[in-house]
Amino acid sequence: MKTISIDPITRLEGHGKIEIFLNDKGDVENAYFQVPELRGFEVFCLGRPVEELPRIVTRICGV
Amino acid sequence: MGKLKFALYWGAACGGCDVAVLDTHEKILDIAAAADILFWPVAMDFKYRDVEEMVDKSIDVCLFNGAIRNSENEHIAHLLRQKSKVLVAFGACAQLGGIPGLANEKRRQEILDFVYQRSPSTVSRKGVYPQETTPVPEGELKLPKFYDTVMALDQVVDVDYYVPGCPPEPARILAVVQAIVTGNLPPKGAVVGALDKALCDSCPRKREEKKVKTFYRPHEILFDPERCFLEQGLICLGPATRGGCGDPPRCIRSNMPCRGCYGPPPDVTDQGAKMLSAVGSIIDSQDPKEIEKVIDVIVDPLGTFYRFGLPASALRKKRFP
Repeated sequence: MKTISIDPITRLEGHGKIEIFLNDKGDVENAYFQVPELRGFEVFCLGRPVEELPRIVTRICGV
Repeated sequence: MGKLKFALYWGAACGGCDVAVLDTHEKILDIAAAADILFWPVAMDFKYRDVEEMVDKSIDVCLFNGAIRNSENEHIAHLLRQKSKVLVAFGACAQLGGIPGLANEKRRQEILDFVYQRSPSTVSRKGVYPQETTPVPEGELKLPKFYDTVMALDQVVDVDYYVPGCPPEPARILAVVQAIVTGNLPPKGAVVGALDKALCDSCPRKREEKKVKTFYRPHEILFDPERCFLEQGLICLGPATRGGCGDPPRCIRSNMPCRGCYGPPPDVTDQGAKMLSAVGSIIDSQDPKEIEKVIDVIVDPLGTFYRFGLPASALRKKRFP
């Protein structure tokens, strides 16, 4: 099956890619959107002083 | 001579470094006049394949922001190193590991378990985690490998220059671009776009005597907005941080103590150790028991002293039993 990869997705904040699978007729059989990134703010913010979080979680997205 | 060829990329990052480049406002037009941009995911449509097809060293300067968190970040770091004459670690994450580097206090599996299973805001099938390879009816999907340890850029590839900051100050970015365009670059390995002194040097606050009986969190005291934070018992990373974020320094002018995003000052390798030594020198006591009590008041020493630089520090990552 032929594939078209859009990697990376551009002009937005963050990492993403799209895999498009084409069937024998050249039509789209299926498409998948994937996010190949994780930093783990959910975990490394735990236990930090609450007054520090405004200066940590602002780095989730700076756009 | 033709126009310079620039590339900009983000590893494990927030996009703030890219926005800082755009925050040069109308001067971005001068950058565009001096250089063609061959790759910049946040702003332009070039793909990884376009970079792969470039002749080696055909990019004059690549500004790489973001830490190395997964195999994709590392792969692209190698690719851009191969294609670039000059590779710049741009911003705190690329220089030191940055905020994403705080994850080096956790185990890899601990992060995956919480994010994909236990987080109250996540709905996930039990035991389902992202896989490097996932078979689907039409073929195969691939994701990068999520590393155990977050790294700075120079822990995976050779780096020519470092531009510190979270994010780098736009005025300093322009100065760096100017230096590149005029070919006026310092010796390899230099930190550019910052001062060669500690942040305290450019701090306008009154300094009297640095002797403290205890440390405070900001809500615990009414502090004088004109006076040195440290003298009032508020942890400020000024003595352990390179100046250059602004005049007066960026957080200081917002009445917030420094957290160290410009990295260690010249001749300091470990920012947290330098801060510990500064803290040690201002505690007003000779009694080890009392000193221990004062130190215990500091709530999150690791996350405070190594806020932006755990991966590049001597600690690098927490050791687990």
